[in-house]
Amino acid sequence: MQLSELRGRSQNADRAFRWLAAGAAGIVLVVLALIAITMTDRARPVLGRMGLGFFTQTTWSVPTNTYGALGFLYGTLYTAVIAIAIAVPISFGVALFVTQVAPRWVRRPLVYVIDLLAVVPSVVFGLWGLLVMAPALGLQPSYLAAGIILAIMITPIITSLSREVIETTPVTDKEAAFALGATRWEMITATVWPHSKGGLVGAVMLGLGRAMGETIAATLVIGNTVHVTANPLAPGYSMPTVIANEFGEAEPLHKSALIALAVTLFLITIAVNLAATWIVQRSMRRSRGT
Amino acid sequence: MKRSGSIQLAAAVAVALASPGCKTSEAPPGGGGAGKVTINGSGATFQKAAQEIAIEAFAKVRKDITVNYAGGGSGKGRKELADQVVDYACTDAPYKAEEAASVKGGAFFYIPNVLGAIAVSYHLGGVDKLQLSADTLAKIFQREIKQWDDPAILADNPGAKLPSAAIVVARRADGSGTTENFTRYLHEAGGGAWKLGSGSTVAWPGDTQAGNGNNGVAGIVKKTSGAIGYLDLSDAIENKLRYAAVKNQAGTYVTPDAASVTAAAEGITPDDKLLFSALNGKGVAAYPLTAQSWCMVYEKQTDKAKGEALSAWFKFLLTDGQKLLPEIDFAPVPKALADKALAQIEKIQVP
Amino acid sequence: MSAPDLRAKPGWRSVKDRLMTGLMLAAVVAVLVPLAAVLASLAARGGGIALASFPDFFTQEIPRFSRRAGPGMGPAVIGTLLVTATATALAVPLGVLGAIYLHEYGGSGRFARLVRFMATVMTGVPSIVMGLFVYLLWTIRFGFSAFGGALALACLMLPVVIGASEQMLRLVPGHLREASYALGATKSRTILTVVLPAALPGIVSGCLLAVARAAGETAPLLFAVGAAKAFNWSVLHEANTALPSQIFGNALDVPAAQGRAWGAALTLVLLTFLLTLAARLVTGRFALKR
Repeated sequence: MQLSELRGRSQNADRAFRWLAAGAAGIVLVVLALIAITMTDRARPVLGRMGLGFFTQTTWSVPTNTYGALGFLYGTLYTAVIAIAIAVPISFGVALFVTQVAPRWVRRPLVYVIDLLAVVPSVVFGLWGLLVMAPALGLQPSYLAAGIILAIMITPIITSLSREVIETTPVTDKEAAFALGATRWEMITATVWPHSKGGLVGAVMLGLGRAMGETIAATLVIGNTVHVTANPLAPGYSMPTVIANEFGEAEPLHKSALIALAVTLFLITIAVNLAATWIVQRSMRRSRGT
Repeated sequence: MKRSGSIQLAAAVAVALASPGCKTSEAPPGGGGAGKVTINGSGATFQKAAQEIAIEAFAKVRKDITVNYAGGGSGKGRKELADQVVDYACTDAPYKAEEAASVKGGAFFYIPNVLGAIAVSYHLGGVDKLQLSADTLAKIFQREIKQWDDPAILADNPGAKLPSAAIVVARRADGSGTTENFTRYLHEAGGGAWKLGSGSTVAWPGDTQAGNGNNGVAGIVKKTSGAIGYLDLSDAIENKLRYAAVKNQAGTYVTPDAASVTAAAEGITPDDKLLFSALNGKGVAAYPLTAQSWCMVYEKQTDKAKGEALSAWFKFLLTDGQKLLPEIDFAPVPKALADKALAQIEKIQVP
Repeated sequence: MSAPDLRAKPGWRSVKDRLMTGLMLAAVVAVLVPLAAVLASLAARGGGIALASFPDFFTQEIPRFSRRAGPGMGPAVIGTLLVTATATALAVPLGVLGAIYLHEYGGSGRFARLVRFMATVMTGVPSIVMGLFVYLLWTIRFGFSAFGGALALACLMLPVVIGASEQMLRLVPGHLREASYALGATKSRTILTVVLPAALPGIVSGCLLAVARAAGETAPLLFAVGAAKAFNWSVLHEANTALPSQIFGNALDVPAAQGRAWGAALTLVLLTFLLTLAARLVTGRFALKR
């Protein structure tokens, strides 16, 4: 065969491969577009009926075709806030411990073990929370019970990301602080904290996004009752949990309402995740520059 | 991971996706394997235990038929049968007029297969016996009475010591025939006290707790001190819950058990569709919250194997299946009614 | 925070330092305690039923009468394997191909940047939203099946596989590619025979982690797979079941069923731990390092 023929044939194969790969990459766009289209289309009936009342009313009554999602929005936010309030101090503490305090030989095994927490499926946490933790703490199904379980689940994420951010603190800054006679805690507040602040905020927001979208573990322990109250011991409800509970036998308008909830949840978690990713990336880029 | 291998796999997947495969626009396919038939049912959790114990026994008798019962509530069962997503459905209450219009498969039969008590379960430390009248029940469940030591409850229980604790009401989140029967009873017997109407869901007050299925209500009552809820007696006993004696029309406080349920069933008058209500029975020994549950199946079956399997399954439910009911605290249907039901089953048309 | 006052009394400063270190240690304990508690519960409550009459738990069907205590969960184990394997077969080739496009061809072009951004968005989609999406597009038309669940899980895995694979491709040294071109190979040939094998261990590791996460997802299964009690070896036909959905359903059921839920939870956790361990081994031994 002529060399030019050989080259021609392999060039066709080459181009075909490139198109195949591009197609595979494009599937991401196709799937997201499909999600956006099908779900907003199905969500429209209920929004047409309720208008903005969908977001401002708390009455969710299937017999009267009234769908106000405020109770669920509140519940999603409230459980996430409780989860963050518990998880953040612990995650920061662990991240600081692993990066600044722990002797070298402890670090890797400790990180290994903590990451195992991230591997445990959420449904197992839900089962354990329902049958072991809540009774042990004397807790009924409530916002607090859900918040604690969510906190346990998002701690590994926040910890691991915080670790990465903290580790970019320039060693020279830390050594300078020690050289001036600072204790380790003083070094942390003087150098690590100002440097990592931004990135840590991003890490927390990623944890927040995860807490808001978590369905199964929360469904088992949240109490399944709409309750706009500041009392954490009250039973509550959230967007993902009501969807999981009620979708099975919903009539069309009811289904539309649940899908509208899903779209709302989708948009909120996407917004939080994107903001968080942007903050973390910006902080990492900045720190590499110094 | 060779590229060509995975491309072939992707192509195979695409072909499988494109082929018509298993559509469920009609009833789900027979599935299983050579000679095996699968029939799928869903609906009332009131009789879920009755269905399951019968499925277990039936599997030993007919190894070629697999029955799946998914539960999900009477509302779900009625909807799925109307949409022809399942082969049969169970319900504690018949279709309402507007629901009946959406039934796609034509005429269908109601086959009563179980009677049972709706127990009013409660969780209150130190209180072993409790008596409640319909009027008091209505006020408790619509949150007019909020404390256990309310005068109305004390009036029903002369001489009893009730703590000054808050009442937590447990009710159903999903569309439930048990709810429909319970609220119907409160409406009929409550003397005007019950204001929320009757239906598979009602506009419960906001400060009540909701569970999925009868088991969900059991879970709430089990876990929550001060809770009160309505659920089938079988699940109440299985979860070791205490339940109250309810005042019947004759003025006696009756505890739910096999005898009082059978006494309530004595007065029923089924119509020609075999629909009836065992609630609020007139007998002296009748338990007023006795409820019933039916299986529903289409008269004209489209799949021969499934049609025969369904006939065999319902016959079993109404013969050997009835003997299993007392073990799980349900009651069999009266013999005359069972005979009429068997006659209905004979009318199922198999191609 | 302003700079610490290094002139303050040394006694108080070191007390504060030690206090803070103590708090950090407490945080570490706070993370390890739930992990240990969950594992202990799994072993105690699940170990009995899963191992006492081995292999009954894995070979017997799920009891029709849920009040019957005792094994098994065989159909759920098979279902999990079927659903997860199918999801992997869908997501991994597409994800790796997509990553190849992004890194080797797309660079920083507009299409590539859009796909990368959308992939980040997609990692944040709550699993219940994905479940609803597959329900609307697939389950309504084709009924419950293992394949529906696999579709949903594949959508969840895809962005993770793309991200991990692209990271690994980035680590392949440029001179390997250049040497291949110098020998006259086409771009596609280079990628398939030089770049991919070099990045493979890291990609495999990333995929194993994605599979571990997918195996534990529950919400998509509720909307696409169903809850069969008998063995179903078919991927496309009839409802199936899987470990996470059985755990969820049985958690709210009678005590006999809850016992089976613990056994299923133990099995699921062991499965995900095994996958994670495999991923870490592959990374440790074979992968390219940063």
